Amino acid sequence: MREMRWLFTVRGEASPSAAGAGGDFSLYSPDVNNTFTWIRLERGLKAKVWARRLEGTTSFRLLVQFSPDTTTSPPPAITVDSAYLASPSSLELEKRRPVVVQYSTGLEGLKFAYSDTGGAGKIAFVAEVEVTDEDE
Amino acid sequence: MDRVVDELGLVPEGGLMTLYFPCYESAIVFRVRSRENKGFEAFDYGPLPLPAGTPLPAYEGTSTTVPADGVLPARSYTRDALTFPAPAFMSTSVFDKNDVFRLSKDDADTLFHVRLFVHPPLVRVEVRMPSNVPQYGFQRRRASVGVDTLWIGARRGSAEAVHFPQVQTGYRFGNDAYWMDLRTFVRFVFGEYRVEVPKSPELVFDVLTKRAPSYWLTLPVFTRTDALEEVLTKCYGFPTVEGRPRLFKLYRADEREEALKDYAEIMKQLRV
Repeated sequence: MREMRWLFTVRGEASPSAAGAGGDFSLYSPDVNNTFTWIRLERGLKAKVWARRLEGTTSFRLLVQFSPDTTTSPPPAITVDSAYLASPSSLELEKRRPVVVQYSTGLEGLKFAYSDTGGAGKIAFVAEVEVTDEDE
Repeated sequence: MDRVVDELGLVPEGGLMTLYFPCYESAIVFRVRSRENKGFEAFDYGPLPLPAGTPLPAYEGTSTTVPADGVLPARSYTRDALTFPAPAFMSTSVFDKNDVFRLSKDDADTLFHVRLFVHPPLVRVEVRMPSNVPQYGFQRRRASVGVDTLWIGARRGSAEAVHFPQVQTGYRFGNDAYWMDLRTFVRFVFGEYRVEVPKSPELVFDVLTKRAPSYWLTLPVFTRTDALEEVLTKCYGFPTVEGRPRLFKLYRADEREEALKDYAEIMKQLRV
């Protein structure tokens, strides 16, 4: 009966200034009028992170992070998946199985962060996120 | 078995459509004589008619403002039901330039069967018929629900409605996501039907006892309104009993004779 599916693209860019830097990506999406950090949805929904593309002029690690409660300050962020761009280049990861986040309370959140940068430079990623209300 | 709708979810020519009214616990059966827009059923309307600067209520009880035309801000919903103004090229020729699907009372044999799809499909949708009347309730309407209530009272991404002559049907929308102001887009898939009520009590009985195929749509009409009752009685000609329209009651299968007599009496007075 429930059948909503919304597949949207998010892109994040950052300009780390030194090796070993880290932080959250500010996200842009063609479907969203503003930039945002957390993908926080109401209870009953599910977010799936499918394909990811990493690119950068320096190496970095992309972190997919989940928080069970984004209303606390700061929200706890648990890394549920990561990918490493080992050298200045690009990397495409097509996930046959997505990273899945279930929104049970409506407090949960999903964000994308970076760490372990190789030096100063520009880094970016693109991900396909699916939001659905399917039961399974 | 015959298909009751085509691949677009619309009733084909010659097909039957049953509209069930919960507030009357009865129905109307229409036969679609013709479809006026066969082959061009899609209407890519565009963004929601929400001009920048429009104030909207928020789920937290505060208010927010539409940041750009057609953008539904995070955690906001439309307090009033929206109707969709006609595009400029047809605004001077349609019956109501502020509601592209509104028909005149002189269009008694015409119905718009509208399937609304909104992008992103995360957007919550509620149908209001008429547009100014809350219709959704819970527990015999002890609680009122709708797009303004979280977790219950709306669908995501789509809605289906019938637009009767004269009655203004509207839609409310909500964005319950946090921190994401959604750029919206609306596509209608619609049928402009020429309709009539079948003149055979037997056929209506078979439809309402599910023995004859018909597309069945339960309308979100849980509250009686003068606007709708005027259409049912004055436009279609349904008789009244104790001040309410007498539509086709859902009889049990073993009440066939009583049903046929009732339906035949109603049919004598119909104008469509």
